[in-house]
Amino acid sequence: MEVWYFYTGIALIYIIFALSLNLLLGYAGQVSAAHAAFGAVGGFLTGYLLQARQWNIVFALALGTAVAFIIGALVALPALKLSVEFLILLTLAMSSVIIGFFTTFDQLGGINGLTSLPKSNLFGWKWQNPSDWMLPLLVAVVVVFAICWRIGESPYGRVLKGIREDDQATRAQGKNVFRFKVMVFAITSAMAGFGGGLLAAFFQLSTPGLFGFSISLSIIAMVIFGGMANLLGSVLGAGILSFLDPILSRAIGIRADQAGFVRLIAYGLLLVALVKLRPQGLIPEGYSVVGRLRGKRPDTSRIEMARAEGWRPDVSTSIATLAEAEHEYLEHGSAVVVGAERAFADKHDQASRAGLWEDADVLVRVRGLSKRFGGIVAAEDLSMTLRRGTITALVGPNGAGKTTVFNLLTGFIKPDRGSVKLNGVQLVGRTPDSVARLGMVRTFQDVRLFQRLDCLQNVQMAVPAQPGERLVPLFFQPRRVSAAEREATAKAMRWLEFVGMQDFAKVPAGALSFGQSKLLSLARVLASDAQVLLLDEPASGIDTHWIDTMLGLIESLREQRRSICIVEHNLHVVGRLADHTYFMELGRITAEGTIDELTSSPRLAEVYFGAA
Amino acid sequence: MPLFAVTITWDSVSQLLVTGVINGTAYGLLGVGFALILGVSGRFHFAYSFTYALAGYGAFWAYARVGLPFGLAAVFGVAVCVVAGVTIERVGYRTLAHQAGGSALLAIFVASLGIGIAGENLLRLTFSSANQQLDGPSGFRTVLHWGPTSFRWVDVWQVLSAVVLVIALTALLRYTVLGRSIKATRGNPELARIIGINPDTIYLICFAVGSLLAGVAAFWFGLKYSVAADMGFKPVIYAFVVGFLAGTARAPARIFIVGVLLSVVEQLSSIFLEIRWTQLVVFVILVIYLGSLSINWSRVFAMIRNPAALWGRARVDDDEEEEEELWKSGTSTPVSL
Repeated sequence: MEVWYFYTGIALIYIIFALSLNLLLGYAGQVSAAHAAFGAVGGFLTGYLLQARQWNIVFALALGTAVAFIIGALVALPALKLSVEFLILLTLAMSSVIIGFFTTFDQLGGINGLTSLPKSNLFGWKWQNPSDWMLPLLVAVVVVFAICWRIGESPYGRVLKGIREDDQATRAQGKNVFRFKVMVFAITSAMAGFGGGLLAAFFQLSTPGLFGFSISLSIIAMVIFGGMANLLGSVLGAGILSFLDPILSRAIGIRADQAGFVRLIAYGLLLVALVKLRPQGLIPEGYSVVGRLRGKRPDTSRIEMARAEGWRPDVSTSIATLAEAEHEYLEHGSAVVVGAERAFADKHDQASRAGLWEDADVLVRVRGLSKRFGGIVAAEDLSMTLRRGTITALVGPNGAGKTTVFNLLTGFIKPDRGSVKLNGVQLVGRTPDSVARLGMVRTFQDVRLFQRLDCLQNVQMAVPAQPGERLVPLFFQPRRVSAAEREATAKAMRWLEFVGMQDFAKVPAGALSFGQSKLLSLARVLASDAQVLLLDEPASGIDTHWIDTMLGLIESLREQRRSICIVEHNLHVVGRLADHTYFMELGRITAEGTIDELTSSPRLAEVYFGAA
Repeated sequence: MPLFAVTITWDSVSQLLVTGVINGTAYGLLGVGFALILGVSGRFHFAYSFTYALAGYGAFWAYARVGLPFGLAAVFGVAVCVVAGVTIERVGYRTLAHQAGGSALLAIFVASLGIGIAGENLLRLTFSSANQQLDGPSGFRTVLHWGPTSFRWVDVWQVLSAVVLVIALTALLRYTVLGRSIKATRGNPELARIIGINPDTIYLICFAVGSLLAGVAAFWFGLKYSVAADMGFKPVIYAFVVGFLAGTARAPARIFIVGVLLSVVEQLSSIFLEIRWTQLVVFVILVIYLGSLSINWSRVFAMIRNPAALWGRARVDDDEEEEEELWKSGTSTPVSL
């Protein structure tokens, strides 16, 4: 019987490894082939402190965990800007470096590691046999599960998933991706170190083989088997796979020295089969076992509706929503005193629009913005203004550098020279997330939604200053976090209603049509409360009978006293929306004025509008 | 930390250099193969270590168990390696790539891990976990002396075969239609498809060539030391490092030279470090390289030129007057048309 307690103990410790790796791999999408090596940090340190320094297990574990946290953060630093291939390679190398490092110390037993560690005790409660370990290990699993759950299934986890889906788009929502990546690496490494320390104390030894690459691989297999981004799946996956060894050697009767090989062959074949046949694992992401037990079935009718032909956004309620949203926007979004109310009696009167533009406050002032890529001039001495309550259009032939301007303004590309000021604050030199937090957000030409998140989550992601995206409030001010989350949900829902997508709140963004994606991406920028919205081709690729809806929505933003800048090819769209138009050619602004002024120029007509 | 484990003499340094170059040809060869596979097909081929070991076991089985002549056994070993590599691509990766689409890299890496670990342990199960001795003709072991350095015939064979293979691959890529097709696919597989190249076929060829290079390296390794199930792990990790340090889209000769240099640095580091630390040198170089990738060098240079930027957000283009007019209406004059 004791031997089964022993195997249960191993399974419980592997559950800790699998849970923490799932947070890193499943939620944040960061591949680590060094998870067991971080376990070695905790394992060797705990082992050393237990044996040579006679520390109590609690303190030894705590120090091992803390050191693993620091090393995890250090490894994350060079890993941040790397693509997946490089990250795999770096963690492979780190796995060898960490294990190699520990085997070079004679104090740690060299290549043999530490053996015959003392039995652990907790203030007189001696953990003699595996059965004595059951309770402490169970507590440890529950604690780790709770932490992973709190991080993963919260606004924090939403950002992690955003990074997994598209880290540039996440930065565009004002999230400091750098901070999240370092933190999640450090936390998961700490948990691996904790697991490693437990493993060493439980086995009473700490050897390189206990934390080698094949162990890292086994943990990856457990996570993928259980299901990525599903913690319950990891518990099952690690639980089942850990028992493979004893079942093979005891129940089937394979020789003990060969059971290890057979198990690894089984792991390998399982990985291949899973990737091929069931990539989502045992329990797929977002599948709620508890919900299913209560008889709730996932509602697929909405997804079918999203794919159906002829769906049209329902914006009949938007006018009412708008009043509410505007109220909200003015209350939270802008501290600036609202100027005199303007009458937009005749929106299509060009002359009055030009006058409007002249009178409006300048929100963004761009001066002398230049950028070269080698010999190619992407932007040359650009100067422009974006003004409150107006819509500015950026037009020009393909390759004129219009999207590059958006990239330069929002910090995705660093200009060589020039300045961009928003309310007098210099934006040049700031990161994209910092620009977004200061109040200038953009959409992308190719939309870049978070495909596997639902529409509501996509919009929630843009809500600024959520306490649930910081760890201290997340764990120490749960009430504040849940109140803020309710608020963010309500707000995101209002913007979804505003664009007529309220029925799709629970539909994954990947299931939407292109036109619906465009509407959702509009809702996403609106939820950011930003004063300046840069919309990259908001009406392109949209079904003709929706264009009116889309343009109506954008026009109504003017009334929210925001400043809108659009890049657009369609001159009808520009003519209807824009109060002021800049014309770009080969990286330079060569003309500006109302669209009528521009279209009446024979030269521009030839360059862009087609020969007259 | 132990320093100066070896007393520095010209003799010892030249021996280290020679050993470095000899080992480096193996790193280089594998690096070239890995880069060809990853660079062209985009597959992170971790099971490369398994196919590497297969070449050793194939030769060992044919020579020691079946009793084939040594040369034939060598060819058989390399052939097993090539067939395995091509089969993995054809049966495994290709279907996965078609199935997984955008997230294929991770899916293929995981599958590759699975194939590698399953294959490695299958070898242990069939041949026992002990190392197997591949004893070729004794002539390979004859020691040669060149100045103060010594090496064996097998080392000469290894260096020559590696150089010949790299030259042959260079010629293939540069002067043949197939080579140009490979480079076109590496540049843009979709575009290559439009002009009538089938990328899937090109990938198969890359796996065949990459496995051939690995097989040759593995054969010499097995002959010099022994054949073991995990013999491929370290060399293949080094191959990854070489491939990434050199750049996977680079010319074979360049990748090969990076491999040789890396090995020489590893050997020379043993002057300063105990032998067990020298392996880490390779990884430290890698970590430094990858770390440097994530540093924004233009920003660093800007800071060196303008140290004030370090202390505050000092900007050259901040002019005072701008602040005043900020809340006034815009003053830009329309450009005359």
